[in-house]
Amino acid sequence: MSEENGQEDAQVRVITPPHALASKVRAGGPGAVDPAALERAEQVITNMADDYLNWVQEDLRLIQEAMDELKSSGGDNQVAISRIFAVSHDIKGQGGSFGYDLMTIVGNDLCRLIEYSDNPDASMLDVIQVHIDTMKLIIKNEMKGDGGPEGTRLLKGLEMVASKVKPS
Amino acid sequence: MSNYNLERLNFLIVDDNKHMRALVKSILHALGVKNCVEATDGADAFKELRHYPADVIICDWSMSPLDGMDFVRLVRTGKDSPNPFVPIIMLTGHTEMNRVMEARDAGVHEFLAKPISAKSLYARVRSIIERPRPFIRAGMYFGPDRRRRENPNYKGKERRKENLESGGAEGGGAGELSQDEVSALLNG
Repeated sequence: MSEENGQEDAQVRVITPPHALASKVRAGGPGAVDPAALERAEQVITNMADDYLNWVQEDLRLIQEAMDELKSSGGDNQVAISRIFAVSHDIKGQGGSFGYDLMTIVGNDLCRLIEYSDNPDASMLDVIQVHIDTMKLIIKNEMKGDGGPEGTRLLKGLEMVASKVKPS
Repeated sequence: MSNYNLERLNFLIVDDNKHMRALVKSILHALGVKNCVEATDGADAFKELRHYPADVIICDWSMSPLDGMDFVRLVRTGKDSPNPFVPIIMLTGHTEMNRVMEARDAGVHEFLAKPISAKSLYARVRSIIERPRPFIRAGMYFGPDRRRRENPNYKGKERRKENLESGGAEGGGAGELSQDEVSALLNG
């Protein structure tokens, strides 16, 4: 049972809940998470990189599908914008776990670009498409980490393109 | 001592993205966890909680129909909540300061920024094990103590008292924070 007592004033209650984890977790011994176990767990993620390359293809297909709908509506399609944001947000949240840091960076850039963009004009649509194309290129060329000089060139190019449509 | 055996802990993973659920589950299994149950949104997770005694919940933010923030509020303050004290780790790519504050004010224990690694996930679990926090009921707030460190010389704002009057979350900038910045912010 938890213990409830007024330790500050009558309207602020401090409650000490049962610390259920303490009775179920053992410190040290066989099976404890030591640095070697953490390394093994990191290796498990690394081994999932091939799976990631498969499922990210589906994300890229979905984001292009939403982009095509957005273009065909002349930029006036809030549902498509929300879908682009959602997929881009997933890409941002996953790429880095599997060594595809550039996917996280470009995914984040695209989220920031469109989060306040209700009705993108033709220039903005072009810039969004460039971001999507860049993500496709990163995956096609399996550009891991910072992507080396090519990765730097890609990010600089995106920054330059985005600066032309971002509000000052 | 920071090496813990997690095999007896029950984890509930809540994420609408099956690949993220698979990733989190794979990491937990590699860390020795035996029991993981998955849910696809907050409503699904709340249903699971009725018969699955989760010790730790790892929960995404953006889900539908019930998103992570509504789920946290439901667990903490819902009249039929099976366990209002269960530790919750909010797992999300939304790392703007106002989002971090909103999650904290909804009653999450820890905030884990995507993309995740085994080390970052274990660090959050370890934090829950090593620093159990009392719960506070103050106005609209019910959740783990947001003051993680005792500071007898504290001369800043009395947030609990302000909460009694407003009950609202604090505002913040819109800039993205790194996991280290989020941890520094939450640790005071």
